[in-house]
Amino acid sequence: MTVETHPTPRRRRSRRHATEDGRRALTAGHALVITLLALVVGCLLDAPGLHKSAFNQPAGWKRDVALAITGPLADVSHALLLDRPRKLLQDALGRGDEDKIDTTITFTPPAPVTTTAAPTPTASHPTARPLPRTHRAAFSPKHKLRIWVAGDSLVITPGWAIIRAAGKARAILPVGGGPDGRVATGLERPDVFNWFTHITRQIRKLRPNAIVLEFGGNDDHGYMTGLPKDVSIGDFGTASWTAEYRRRVAGLLDTTNRAGVFVVWIGLPITRDPVQTQRFDTINAIISSEARKRKGGVEFVDTYATFASDSGGFAQYLTDASGRQILVRAPDGVHFELAGGDMIARMVLHALNEQFDLTSWRKKTPRT
Amino acid sequence: MLFPTATFAIFFLLVLPLSWLTMPWPHRWRPFIVGASYVFYSWWDWHFVFLLAGSTLWNHVLATAIHRSRVPSQRKLLLVLALAGNVGVLGYFKYYDFFVSSTDNLLSVVGLTFPLGLRTIVLPVGVSFYTFMAISYIVDTYRGDFVPVTLEKFATYLSFFPHLVAGPIVRPSELIPQFDAPRDPRAVDTSRAFYLIATGLFKKVVIANYLAGAIVDDVFGAPGQHSSLELLVAIYAYAVQIYADFSGYTDIAIGVALLLGFKFPRNFDSPYAAVSIQDFWRRWHMTLSRWLRDYVYIPLGGNRKGGRRTYVNLLLTMLIGGLWHGAGWTFVVWGGLHGTYLAVGRLRRGRDEAQPTGFALWRRRVVTFQLVCLAWVFFRADSLGTAKDVLVGLFTRWGDASPLVSFGVVVAIIAGIAPQYLPARWPHALMERFARLPVVAQAGVLGVGLMVTSVMGPEGVAPFIYFRF
Repeated sequence: MTVETHPTPRRRRSRRHATEDGRRALTAGHALVITLLALVVGCLLDAPGLHKSAFNQPAGWKRDVALAITGPLADVSHALLLDRPRKLLQDALGRGDEDKIDTTITFTPPAPVTTTAAPTPTASHPTARPLPRTHRAAFSPKHKLRIWVAGDSLVITPGWAIIRAAGKARAILPVGGGPDGRVATGLERPDVFNWFTHITRQIRKLRPNAIVLEFGGNDDHGYMTGLPKDVSIGDFGTASWTAEYRRRVAGLLDTTNRAGVFVVWIGLPITRDPVQTQRFDTINAIISSEARKRKGGVEFVDTYATFASDSGGFAQYLTDASGRQILVRAPDGVHFELAGGDMIARMVLHALNEQFDLTSWRKKTPRT
Repeated sequence: MLFPTATFAIFFLLVLPLSWLTMPWPHRWRPFIVGASYVFYSWWDWHFVFLLAGSTLWNHVLATAIHRSRVPSQRKLLLVLALAGNVGVLGYFKYYDFFVSSTDNLLSVVGLTFPLGLRTIVLPVGVSFYTFMAISYIVDTYRGDFVPVTLEKFATYLSFFPHLVAGPIVRPSELIPQFDAPRDPRAVDTSRAFYLIATGLFKKVVIANYLAGAIVDDVFGAPGQHSSLELLVAIYAYAVQIYADFSGYTDIAIGVALLLGFKFPRNFDSPYAAVSIQDFWRRWHMTLSRWLRDYVYIPLGGNRKGGRRTYVNLLLTMLIGGLWHGAGWTFVVWGGLHGTYLAVGRLRRGRDEAQPTGFALWRRRVVTFQLVCLAWVFFRADSLGTAKDVLVGLFTRWGDASPLVSFGVVVAIIAGIAPQYLPARWPHALMERFARLPVVAQAGVLGVGLMVTSVMGPEGVAPFIYFRF
């Protein structure tokens, strides 16, 4: 009798698969594990940066969830010293301060209002006395008016237009490169970007005679950081919100004026969304009233009417002097197109010409 | 939903396992991936999901009708109808205002006004890419090169999220057959996928974003304020920025598709190592180049209708290519320049036929790169006036201070160009080494890469340049 025997089943060795060009291929499960692990490792190594990004998000449940995750993650990363490589790399790149969340708002105490003429600020020695002035300081190609443009994303297109136009006016020198436009920033959230510190620093560094500012496009919310101790605010537009926002605008203007720097503040424009326009009106009202209090030191450029249609509503296109339709607003109904930027630039240059004497040098220049 | 964001990471971590889990049952996988792709697309603006769905339905119905019809005139009519629908969508969303304002400006010279008014039209992201893919599907069906598939498969082809918003422009015959057979979960080309994703992220987040902020935006924003040296370096920087930005995006897209088990065609092959403009177009946005060749240049007659007509066809094809990028005269000039380059290149073909080596190779590479950079000036400039300012400034402001030409800018430009001259085997060797690492080590390497990219990149996530096309 023969007994049929089957070979002992050998343990099947997993066959390694290869790609078309001969490299080792992995399973889909491995792909998932690598993806997941890489993200975990990356998150742990990058935890301080992620935490800062979470902190900088707009207020709401997404921010709360992000903070609830990234906070402990940053603690674990720090405890395991996993945040060290990031710090070392940042230091090597000269960006060691990037993870700091700076919500400090400090203002120089406002100086007593003076009505006497202040000395003309020069490019190299901006006066420490407050504005306003009683006479127009003169500038020329040899002694140029230094201007710096800064603000949120709304300032970028007009900022370039201002810089281009200023370049053609021979007595103006734009400083600081292009417009310092920071997307999604404003005066409400110094944690996202601390304009109060930045402006002070830039004035010291660039020594402008005038700065062109535009803020508020991202400030139509009821959430602020950097509040003084024991101060809380209500929703957007409430008395407590308005008081705190006014304090910030006023502080910024005073700090700037005290450094001898004239401010041109571009008002928020009409937008396609009527609700947003109403909120922008609230912000414009605060800024324009603060500007009025500092006549000679601040000029508020009202853009509302310029960008409204004949019927008073939002206009994507406007008709120019030759009757042509020109695109002035971006498709999002908020930002500006090139032609819109050019229109604001004209208004800003007009304000600068009103404040400063930028043309009398022409009369003194002998004709050849 | 942008690739280099936490939102996409979470989305992909959900889609990756679910896609593989449903893969053995294509009738479940396809609706799942279409749903995921629509969620991905709706992240920008949910309204445009209806446009994508409408385009899918329109092209499916007409492709099926073309396939079923046996009457040539009827087939032609259906083809024209289908193409009109696709071109109409593109025309409305991309070119309506350009057409109306240009015509209005032209008529205003003789004191007339154009009867059509201007409108506020928001361009749906990716519309140019998926419309071109839909046109491929229609034309291939008409030519008999492809048999239309079910609505479900076509919807998967058109909306598959890795290519949906910025390509590559994948042909039906390249992708749809891959949907028929479940992909093999035991053989995923992970080393290539992760290499493409990691290098794509680095190119976009570090090189492209850095150059944009450090020099390109400043110089092209106000060219009159900058020295000749700054202008020259900014042009080179933009050449690198747009390459790093777009090739970075498509590398990530190809890598993501590979992790899901699907292969996309290459879209870039060291374009700045090209030795002629024709060679450049074989290496730059390769899927658009071949689309223009197969669906515009050849139908126009290609080189079959004599020398003069060939040049006209080249010029027309590149003008259409230019206009595809955007509604503006700068893009027309960009396309016109490339069309002219190609025509001149064709004229000189007899002289430059041989594969150059040594000095001749480098001379031709350098000349080609300069010609490409000259055209980029128009591509980047926001108006013809700005382009003129850049070009005039190149010759008139030498000796002025050039603070924007920093060490970092020069390093970033070199980092963007130099790898294109490296032997092709080097990336393969790198991938092979990576593939041999244990799984945990691979994850570690990628995790460190993510951190380095995040630290070296500027803050925030800038949108990809090609999203607006």
